[in-house]
Parts: sequence; C-alpha cells; structure tokens
Amino acid sequence: MRKFFDKAATLVFWGTALALGALLAGVLGFVANRGWSAISWEFIFEPPRDGMTAGGIWTPFVGTLELIVVSMAATVPVGVGTGLYFSEYATDSFFTHVLRQSIRALAGVPSVVFGLFGLSLFVIFLGFGSSMLSASLTLACLSLPLMVTASEQAFRAVPQDYRDASYALGATKWQTIRKVVLPSAASTIITGVILSIGRVAGETAPIIFTGAAFYTPDVAQSLFDEVMALPYHVYVLSTAGTNIEATRPLQYGAILVLVGLVLGISSIGVWMRTRLTREK
Amino acid sequence: MDKTESDLDLPQVRTQNLDLYYGADRVLRSLNFDIPRGCVAAFIGPSGCGKSSYLRCLNRMNDFISGARVEGRVLIDGEDIYASGVDVIALRRRVGMVFQKPNPFPMSIYENVAYGPRLFGVKDRETLDETVRSSLEGAALWNEVKDKLNTPGTGLSGGQQQRLCIARAIATEPEVLLMDEPTSALDPLSTSRIEELIRDLKSRFTVAIVTHNMQQAARISDYTAFFLLGELVEYGTTSQIFTVPVDKRTEDYITGRFG
Ligand SMILES: Nc1ncnc2c1ncn2[C@@H]1O[C@H](COP(=O)(O)OP(=O)(O)O)[C@@H](O)[C@H]1O
Ligand SMILES: [Mg+2]
Repeated sequence: MRKFFDKAATLVFWGTALALGALLAGVLGFVANRGWSAISWEFIFEPPRDGMTAGGIWTPFVGTLELIVVSMAATVPVGVGTGLYFSEYATDSFFTHVLRQSIRALAGVPSVVFGLFGLSLFVIFLGFGSSMLSASLTLACLSLPLMVTASEQAFRAVPQDYRDASYALGATKWQTIRKVVLPSAASTIITGVILSIGRVAGETAPIIFTGAAFYTPDVAQSLFDEVMALPYHVYVLSTAGTNIEATRPLQYGAILVLVGLVLGISSIGVWMRTRLTREK
Repeated sequence: MDKTESDLDLPQVRTQNLDLYYGADRVLRSLNFDIPRGCVAAFIGPSGCGKSSYLRCLNRMNDFISGARVEGRVLIDGEDIYASGVDVIALRRRVGMVFQKPNPFPMSIYENVAYGPRLFGVKDRETLDETVRSSLEGAALWNEVKDKLNTPGTGLSGGQQQRLCIARAIATEPEVLLMDEPTSALDPLSTSRIEELIRDLKSRFTVAIVTHNMQQAARISDYTAFFLLGELVEYGTTSQIFTVPVDKRTEDYITGRFG
C-alpha cells in the first residue's frame, strides 16, 4: 500500500514538474516566435522613434536595468539586515511575532497598492517627485517581504554546529555572523535576490504613479529623472499606442528582451550560487 | 582518594560547590574537585547525568542557553571564570572545545585552522602558515592534508574532520582542551588514532574528555570522574576508579550492571 502511494506520489510530482516545464516552454516559445522577427542590434540599441511605432527599446531597456539596480541596492541590505535581525537577534516575543506576520502579509498585498503607497510616501511626502528614485524605492518595498523571508530562512538554515564551533574559538556574535553565518547563508540569499529581481523587472503597477515615463527620448541620467521601463512600455504600446496592431512585433520583441534579461540575471545568480556551494 | 592527594598539587581547573540550573532543573549538584595540570580527566556516567553540561561550564558555552544559571565557582589557573567582569572571549581562547559531531566550517582546511588566530587579529601570512602547519601536525593530520590545504574541510573523512577540529581548537593555543565524546561518531580505527592523539596532547594541554566508553576512559585518562544524576559520585585516579572504586554505584557502573 505504502509502495503504491510512493509510486503514485512520484508520478504526480513528475507529472506536475513536466507540466510546469511544458507550460514555461510554451510561454517562452510563444513569445520567442512572435518577437524574434523584431530582434536586431538596432532594436536593442536605439530609442523608440516616430511616436513609438518604430525604432528600438534602448531607453526602456536601460530604464529597467536602472530600476533593478537601484531597487536591489535598497532592498538587499534592508531585507538581509531584517532577516538577520529576526533570525539572530529577535527574541520570540509578541512584538516580533506581529512584526514577522505583518511582513509575510505584505507579500500578499496587490502591487498597485504599493504603487499608491509609493506615490504618497516617496513622490509626494518625501518630495522625490515622479522619478527613478521613487519608482525604485516602491519596487524595493514590493520585494522587501520576499527578501526578508528568504534571508531569515537562509540564516536559520545555518547549522547551530557552526555557530557553536565559532563561539567556542572565542568569536564574538558579530564575528560569527560575518565569518560563518553570512557566507553559509549566501547562496540561499542569492536565490532570494534572483526571485526579487524577477518580480521587480516585470512590474508595471507600482511604477506607473511613481516614476515610469510614457515616453522619453533619453536614458534617465539621474535618480530624479523619470524612467522608461520595459513592462510599462509594452503596456503603453498595446493599450495606448498610436498604432497598436502595427507595433505588435515591437511589443513581443520587448517582452522577449525582458524575459531574456530576467533569465540572464537569473543564470548569473545560479552561476554565483553554484560557485559558492562548490567552494564549500 | 587519599593516595592521589599529592598529585593534585597545582590544579589547573578547580570546581567548587558548582551548581547548574536549567530554569528550575538542577542539573549539576555541588560539584567539588580539581583537575591537575597536564593530564587527561575523563568524565563517565549514564546519558543525561550532566557530563556535557559540566564541560560547557568550563568555557561558559552554557551562557547561550536561556535560563541556564550557575552557582559556585570554577577556577581556571586560579581565576574565577564566573566572576563579574571576566572576559568570556579571552576565556574561550584559553579553553578550547571539540564537539561530539565533527563540525568543520564550510571552508578550506587552511581557513578552518586559521579561523581562531584570525579572530585574534593575526594577519601575517607566514605566522598563519606556521600556525596551520604546527596545529595540523599537533592533530596528527598534517601528512594527510598538506597537499590539499585549500580543499574544503567538509570533504575529509569523519575521523579526519574530527582531527581537523582538534587542530582548529589547538591553533589558538589553549591551556585546557574540552572534548565531548569526540569519537562517538567515528569508526574504531579513527577512534584509536584520536585516542593516541589525546595521549600526546596532554603534554601541552590539560584535557577534559567526556566519554560513554569506559574502556576509552581507562585507556587514555589519568583521572576519572563518575557522574550520576548531576552528582559527582566518585573522582580519583583512573587506576583507582577502575580497580578499587570506593562507591558501590561506581563499581556497579563500571562493571556494567547499569548504564
Ligand atoms: N539546553 C538544555 N536545556 C535544558 N535542559 C538541558 C539542556 N541540555 C541538557 N539538558 C538537561 O540537562 C541534563 C544533563 O544533560 P547533559 O549534560 O547533556 O548530559 P550528558 O552529557 O551526561 O548526557 C539532562 O537532563 C538534559 O535533559
Ligand atoms: Mg552529552
């Protein structure tokens, strides 16, 4: 009987994994099929032209990269620090329980709500205006719950044995964290960063009100410039463009580049992770 | 215990009226005994009688257990390690520890051994190289690993990992070395290598070792302490404990009538 269940479970898991793989391949294939014809060097390295019905995606492409970099620069230190606090310093009090649960709950909040929050906090209250900075910080807030939870779990997964050995050698708590806990948790934290980047790169709702430009000919030069972004660009072309049907290849091309960008960053992350694991 | 009195001249570790509580549980009860310098003291007794807890009193690793509380005194080289203002970090440098399960860090062999010295600010490459070499030699591991110092410590066999942990512990040049069942996870061959090593180590360190294996205690130790339910039932030279135990309970335990 147990054997039967084992077999059945294995079958179900394999089936699910295969179905998911097929689904992913299907989506990728669809996007690649529709978008491939648009891809060229000019498409990537030229800004949109002629009311965004021609030209390339250089401006939104760079904008998305900028948003990723600035939002990660904010979310990774704060997220890892908070995860570290929960795992290594916080006692199991009512207060930390509430804090932890609130952060988990934040992960389920619709991204448009983050957009409105960013609008009132960063754009208006802090006076950053509609800018790359406001948009990045909003995206940082959006990915913070994931980052906190991922790093807390990464830290908790570090065996107590390592900490004991370090303390017994006369290490302080901070030395133990820096030299043993952080390096051991790094590969799991990188996974969290990859997931966060994937989420941040594809979001539209949080940046519409906070810093995404409908169109700018130039790549954003400062944190206070508005910035074009690939997902918003696609959204604009397919809903509010001057010629929606004619720009279909541009839309699919932009999606293909966005997917390629996220996959590219993920593979760098995976490569870093395997290198770290191998060093052990 | 009379005939051992003269050997207990200049004790390195003196335990005086030591009580340990975990919350309301009193797990060590009025311990009083001395461990002389440069010898091996073995701690035997049934599981749960407080042997590990006692060892952790000596480097204050119990400080990490919430609710743990110590009464009485432990003097190491005459200094009360529970007095207020004691530098626990410095204490742990003087009192090294080897754990039951080999627990090398997920780093290279070299970095494992250099970990302690680096903590104390040793940066000079030559000094570190020298410490790593002498510690690995001291742990009888040098010849096996000298050509792969930069490979992960976790890639070694269990017995080698435990010797690496010993090398790591002696790299900070402690005076006392605590070992909590260091061979219980190892095969017989690795066990005998480590026993041999412990006999060598006592020329440089005072060793306090917990073991569940009475033959091991008999083979490697100079003094033996028998614990039962948090009490020190009997303490004396190993030959006396194993040949003419004074307490009936000690005799029952070492002859295998309970345990
Ligand atoms: N972290 C702890 N918290 C509370 N009780 C503990 C803890 N560690 C050990 N104990 C208790 O203290 C007693 C002694 O344990 P221990 O020192 O591990 O014994 P031994 O090493 O002789 O097997 C046992 O009753 C055990 O349940
Ligand atoms: Mg024990």
